[in-house]
Amino acid sequence: MAKATAEIIPLERGDARRVPLDSVLRFATEPVEKVLPRPTVDEWGRDQQLINVIMPLAHLRWDVTVGGQQHLPRGGALIIVNTRRFALTPISTALALSQALDRPVRFVGRSDVVPFGPVMRRIGGLLAQPDEIAGALRAGQLVVLGADATSNPRRAGRIDHTLVAAAMREKKPVHIAATMSTMISRQARVEVASVLRPRHKRRGSLAESEIAEQAQRQLQELLNELGGTRTGVPGLGWLGEG
Amino acid sequence: MRGKRVLVSGMGSELGSLVAALLESQDWVGALEGIDIDPPRRRLRRAVFHRVSPHDRSRVVDIVTAFNPHVLIHVAVWEPNARVNTGTARSLTEGAATSILGAAAECPALEHIVVRSAAEIYGRARNSLTRPDESAPTAPTSEFGRMALRIESTANDVAARVGVTVGALRLAPVLGPHVPSPLGRLLRMPVVPFSLLADPPFSVLRDLDAADALVAAARVGLDHPLNITAHGAITGSQAILRGHRIPAPTIGPEWAITRRLSQFFGAPIPDHVVETLNRGRLIDGDRARDAIGVTPAASTSEVIDSLFAWPSVIHVIRPDSSSVGAA
Repeated sequence: MAKATAEIIPLERGDARRVPLDSVLRFATEPVEKVLPRPTVDEWGRDQQLINVIMPLAHLRWDVTVGGQQHLPRGGALIIVNTRRFALTPISTALALSQALDRPVRFVGRSDVVPFGPVMRRIGGLLAQPDEIAGALRAGQLVVLGADATSNPRRAGRIDHTLVAAAMREKKPVHIAATMSTMISRQARVEVASVLRPRHKRRGSLAESEIAEQAQRQLQELLNELGGTRTGVPGLGWLGEG
Repeated sequence: MRGKRVLVSGMGSELGSLVAALLESQDWVGALEGIDIDPPRRRLRRAVFHRVSPHDRSRVVDIVTAFNPHVLIHVAVWEPNARVNTGTARSLTEGAATSILGAAAECPALEHIVVRSAAEIYGRARNSLTRPDESAPTAPTSEFGRMALRIESTANDVAARVGVTVGALRLAPVLGPHVPSPLGRLLRMPVVPFSLLADPPFSVLRDLDAADALVAAARVGLDHPLNITAHGAITGSQAILRGHRIPAPTIGPEWAITRRLSQFFGAPIPDHVVETLNRGRLIDGDRARDAIGVTPAASTSEVIDSLFAWPSVIHVIRPDSSSVGAA
C-alpha cells in the first residue's frame, strides 16, 4: 500500500542546495553523533542505549542469577515478584530478565514526577495503572509487577488485584518470580515459576482477587524453597536473612 | 462498492490534497468534490473544488447538498499556529465542523463520515496513560485537543441524528515536506528547546501515511475512533541530535520566554507542542491494521530524519536555454 501511495504521489524533486547554516550546524554537532549515534527510544519510552550504559554499573551492585526463564512465553506476560522494603526489586528483576531473555522487560511502579519518573520510563518503567499494564501486555510485553514491600525478604507481600486484573482482561499468563538479595551482598537470584493456573473458573471480578491471593501464596512457597542468601562472611550469615 | 460520491472538506490543506490525490486513484470512488478556504496544494485531475469560507454557511450547505455525498472525509481542521494563530484556528475549525458536518446531515445519500482527529484528544495530565488506546478517556489538556474533542462530538451528534457511521482517526502529529506543522517548524530551527528533566518520548506520523489511513477508513466504513501513529518513538533531545541542531535545555519556567523568542524567530510554539516536549505524546496504534488494513510505512525516527532532510528551499532548475532553442 505504501509503495502504491509513493507511486501515486511522487515526492517533489529539486536541486536541494544545502543552506550554509545547515553545514555549520552539522559541523558543530558532528562530535555528538560519534558518541550518541542515531538515538531513539521504543514505543513505551524505553531507551536501550541508556540501559546498555547503566548495565555495567548495575553489575557493580548486583550479580543476578536468573532461573526458570524458559517458563516465560514469547508474547506478553505479567510477572509478579516479591519486594523487599527500600529495594529496587522490580527494576533489578526487569533488567536481569531483559538481559537473560534478550528482549525488553518492563516494570510497574514509575512515578509521573520529574526527574525520577522520566528516568524510570527510560529504563522501562510503567505507571501503576491497570490500563497502562493492559496496554503493555496487549502489545506483547513482559511486565514485572512488585508485590507490596515487606521488611523480611523471605516474606511475600500482598498483591494488588486491580493490577493483576489487567492480565486477566487481556487473557495473558501470570507468572510469579521469587527474588532474593541482600543489602550488603552482590549476589542476587531471580527464579521464575511456571504459569499460574486459577483453581476455580470465575466469571466475575472474583477471578482476579483469587489469582492475586494464589500468587501471593505460591510466591511464599517458592521463597521458602529458595532459602535465604548467604553473605559469605563468617558470623554475618544472618544478614542474608534481611 | 463502486461509484461512491466522496466529499473532502479541507481539500486545500496539504493533507486534504493528498487524500484527494489518493481518492482519485480509488476504483470505488465515483465523483469527488472538495471544499476549503484555500485552493488545493496539488494538481488534481478528477476532483471538483469549491473555494468557500467555512463561515459562509448558506453556500456550504448549497454545495454539499447539491453534491449529496455518500462519504464525507472531514479534514478541515486547523492546527493552532500551523497556518493561522490559535484563535483563528479555533474559529475556522469550529465553523467548518458546524457548517460542513451540518450540511452533510441534510444529504439523503450520506452513509459514512470520517473525521480527522488528533492524539492531543487524550490529554497529558499527571498520571495519564503513557500510551493510551482508543478506549482511554478523552481529557484534552491543550487547545488543539479540545478542538479535536469538539469535532468528534459534533460528528457523533450528526451521525446519531441521521443514522450514519462515523470513524474518527486520532492522528499523531503529522509531519511532511509541505505540511505546516508547528512541531516540525520548531525542530528545524537552528537552536531547539527541550525539557532537560523530562525529555519525554513522542511519536509522529508521515503525511502520506495519514492520507492513506483516511482513505482506508473511508473505504472500509470505519465506525469507531482509531489511533494512527508511526511505530517507534523519539524524545525531543534525540530528535535534535539526529537533526544536528543545537539543543537548548529548559527546566520549566523559561518556556514562556522560549515561546516568545521562538515566535519572534518565526516558529510560534502552541500549547500542545509545549505539552509534547514536556509531557510526551504516545498513542497505541496497534489496532490500525485490523480495523482499516493499513499501518504507517515510515517509523517515527524515519519521519524525523526526513524532516531534517527536506530542503528549506527547492531551487527549480530552468531548462537549458540553448537546448530549448535547438529544439
